[in-house]
Amino acid sequence: MEGVVAWLVITLIKILVILGIVLGIGAYLTLVERKVAAHIQRRPGPMVVGWHGLLQPLADGLKLLTKEDLFPRYGNRFLYNLALVMALVPATLVFAVVPFGPEFEVFGIKVKPILTDVNIGLLLVFALGSMAVFAIALAGWASNSKYALIGSMRKAGIVVSYEVVITFAVMGPIILAGTLSTYDIVQKQIEQKLWYLWLQPIAFVVYMFAMLAETGRVPFDIQEAEAELVTGFTVEYGGMKFGLFPLVEWYIEVLSLSAIAVVLFLGGWSPINIPFLGFVDPLFFLGPLSPFVWFILKVSLLFLFVLWLHWTLPRYRIDQVTETAWKVMLPLTLVNLVLTAVVAPLIWR
Amino acid sequence: MGYLALLIFFGIMLSIALVFVFVNKLLGPKSSEAMQDYPYECGVPLYDKSAQSTFHQGYYLLGLLLLLFDIEAAFLFPWTVVYRYLGVFGFIEMFLFILILTYGLLYAWRKGALDWQFEEESL
Repeated sequence: MEGVVAWLVITLIKILVILGIVLGIGAYLTLVERKVAAHIQRRPGPMVVGWHGLLQPLADGLKLLTKEDLFPRYGNRFLYNLALVMALVPATLVFAVVPFGPEFEVFGIKVKPILTDVNIGLLLVFALGSMAVFAIALAGWASNSKYALIGSMRKAGIVVSYEVVITFAVMGPIILAGTLSTYDIVQKQIEQKLWYLWLQPIAFVVYMFAMLAETGRVPFDIQEAEAELVTGFTVEYGGMKFGLFPLVEWYIEVLSLSAIAVVLFLGGWSPINIPFLGFVDPLFFLGPLSPFVWFILKVSLLFLFVLWLHWTLPRYRIDQVTETAWKVMLPLTLVNLVLTAVVAPLIWR
Repeated sequence: MGYLALLIFFGIMLSIALVFVFVNKLLGPKSSEAMQDYPYECGVPLYDKSAQSTFHQGYYLLGLLLLLFDIEAAFLFPWTVVYRYLGVFGFIEMFLFILILTYGLLYAWRKGALDWQFEEESL
C-alpha cells in the first residue's frame, strides 16, 4: 500500500515538473526567441515590460487570455476545437519518455528522472509525433478558409514526407543500442563509451533536417509563409487558441525533438565523450547535479542552433522540400541503415 | 505501472487542453459585429463559401507514399531491436528486405511519383 502511495506521489511530482517545462519554459522560450532574433538582426528586442522584457511572456499570455472567442462562421466547431486538443496533448506526452538524468536516491527511494521508462519509448515518441498531422489537417479543414486549408495541406505534406525519413534515421542508433527504451539507450552509450553521433553523422544530419521540417522551422516553413499565407493553418484561430499552436509547434515540439536527439546521438546526460576511451567532465565540481546540467546544456544548444538557422536562412518551395525528403534523405538513411548493420557487431563486443 | 503513469499524464493534459479551448469564451469580451466571424480572405465577399473543395493532388500522392514506407518502417523496428541476437541470418534477411524496399523507391522515382505534380501548362 505504502509503495503505491509513494509511486503516485513521485509520478505526480514528475508530471508537475514536465508541465512546468512544457508550459512555463515553453512560454518563456518565446522571449528567448524574440531576443535571439532581435540580436541577430542587431536590434534590442522587447525592452518595455520588465527588465529587458523579462515579463513580456506574461503580458502576452494575459493579452491572449482576454481576447474574444471567435469562430469562423462556415467552419465545423467540433473539429475546430478537436484540432487544438490533438495538437497539444500528443506533443506534451512525448516528454513522458525523455530521461533527464541518471537514477538517484531520495529518502531511500530510487527515482528515475523519467516519467515512464517503457520499453517501447522511441516507438511511442514517433507514434505521438505522427498525431501532429491529424491536428494540422483538422485545423485547416475545420476552419473552412482558403488560407488555412492551403497552409494545413502544405504542412501535412511536409510532415508526412519527413515522418518516414525520421523513422529510418533513428534506426541506426537503435541497432547500436539494441533497445527502444530511451533510458537504456543513454545507458548503452555510457557503457560503450561512445556517443552515437560519432558513428551516425549521416543519421544525425538527416534527423536535424527532419526535425526542422516537422516543427515548421525555417528553411521548411513554407506552410506558414507570413507574407503569403499569414501563418497558414492558424489563421482562423484567435486568443489563447492562436497562442497554443505556435507554442506547440515552435517550442514544445522543438524541445522534445531536441531532447530525443540528445538521447539518441549526444549521449543524454553523459559529459563530453572521447570515442572508445571515456568521458571528460569539466563540470565535475557540480557533483551529482552535473548529469542534469549536461542534459539541459545539450538541449539548449540544439534549441539555440535551431533559432540561429531560423533567423538566418531563406525558405524553400514546397516541391523542393518534399522532393529532398524522398530523393535525398530517404536513400541516405537506407544506406546508413545497411552500413550501421555492418559496423554494429564491432561496437557491441 | 509505466503505462498507468502515462494514462494519468494523458488525463491531466486532456483537461488542460480543454481549459485552453474554453478559456477565451469565459474571459473574453463579447461584441456583436456582423462580419467579425467572416472567413479571413481578401476583404471582398467570398465567391465560394466553402473552401473544402478540391485541392492539389500532389498531397494525395505524398499520403500514399507515406503509407507504403511507414508500414515498411514498422516491419524494420523489431528487427533493429533484436538484430544483435540474429547474427548473419538477420543481416542477410533484412538486407534483402531493404533491397526490395529500395527497388520500390526507385520504381516510384522512375514513375515520377516523387516529383511534385505541377499542372500541365502546355495544354
